[in-house]
Amino acid sequence: MDISSLGGDFLGIIPLGDIVLYLTPFHLFMCVVMLLFTFLICISKTETQVEASFGKLEDTKVSVGLNEFKQRRFLSIICGIATAGAMITGDLFNFTLFMALIGIVNIGIVSAVKQTSVLNAAYQYGLIAMMCSLPLFGGAAIILASTGTLSLFELSNLATTSAMTVFGALLLLIGILGESGVAPFFATKAEMFRTPGSPFLVIIHLSSLFVVIRAIEILLIIIKVI
Amino acid sequence: MRISEIWNKLANPKNVPRLFAAILGICLIIGFIVPMELNPDQLYSRPAPQVQVDEGLNLAPYDRGGVILKEPGIIQSQYPSTTPYLGMITSYVSPIANLVSVISPYFGTSIYSSPGGLIDEVLYYTRGFDTILESSILMMAFVIASWLAVNFTMNRKNDSENIKSDVKIAIDKSKKVKDEVDENNRKNHLKQNRRDN
Repeated sequence: MDISSLGGDFLGIIPLGDIVLYLTPFHLFMCVVMLLFTFLICISKTETQVEASFGKLEDTKVSVGLNEFKQRRFLSIICGIATAGAMITGDLFNFTLFMALIGIVNIGIVSAVKQTSVLNAAYQYGLIAMMCSLPLFGGAAIILASTGTLSLFELSNLATTSAMTVFGALLLLIGILGESGVAPFFATKAEMFRTPGSPFLVIIHLSSLFVVIRAIEILLIIIKVI
Repeated sequence: MRISEIWNKLANPKNVPRLFAAILGICLIIGFIVPMELNPDQLYSRPAPQVQVDEGLNLAPYDRGGVILKEPGIIQSQYPSTTPYLGMITSYVSPIANLVSVISPYFGTSIYSSPGGLIDEVLYYTRGFDTILESSILMMAFVIASWLAVNFTMNRKNDSENIKSDVKIAIDKSKKVKDEVDENNRKNHLKQNRRDN
């Protein structure tokens, strides 16, 4: 499918050499929503979890220390900006780089907690994220080799899709599924959510939702079967 | 196996990387039967291997051509409208690199053999935004690692309780290891004695 039938009327581009960020109503909407959420997260405070305790009448409050709070807020903002960038980028390799940035920042957001179950889940997620760099960058490289270009505009103008391009797209899809923790790889991310510090955790979830939508769009641009 | 059991297994984070690795492995094996094809019309093309070496260029096979701010280097633009502006600083190397390249004919090869040089080559010079992103990924990795190092391993003065329990665990563990080693030593001695006799 071509870009305008997926994203709506073409509004303009932001040229950065061979890398072009482009704006259509669809991409602009996603980017602005993401930046808005990032701003909200930037100005909000963390939640405090209240746990009932056995044998006593008091509750235990699990809150986030100032030091940890600052680190997490910083990483969340980076995560939000990276996701917003992934929404409007018009270059395949650029998209995979944004994806890798989101992955590593996600691990960072939960790595500061002192709960072993959460840290264990983050470790397992880190393993997946590490493995994902092979299909992500490998997929982009295979698409580059078989088509000769990485620009989404050029890719959408190609008449046919060869078997190797489809294989590259498949690898890319696997990389994105693993990195964004879509089913059946959701368990690690779901476990990471159990830690206190809610608004910063939400961006982990939000970024994967947005990125998956964008990834589907990119795959529809690359693969001409549909 | 019932589907509920499969779901339960999937809910354990430990199993997720294994499942992912298995699926990735299967896909890579499928890759063997996919017909390979290289599009000859590549945007980021390089001269054929050994061509620059045969020409006797100082920086071969890394030579990027052109003169700084005068002539564009070996470069191709994705979008024709940007062509006039590109490649003017492509051939820049730092004075030290220049000196080394004059002294040694192997400098280009050693740039290629280092990951940074290869990334530079792969990303090419029209893809500056990618370079920024690459280094920001690295920077985030360092931010996370250094924060963890400072707060969880170095700066633990206020965590005296934690340290106490950790030390206890460490002592217990080392005792266990020592016992095991002693036991093994004893067994081996016995064996050796039996053999000697």
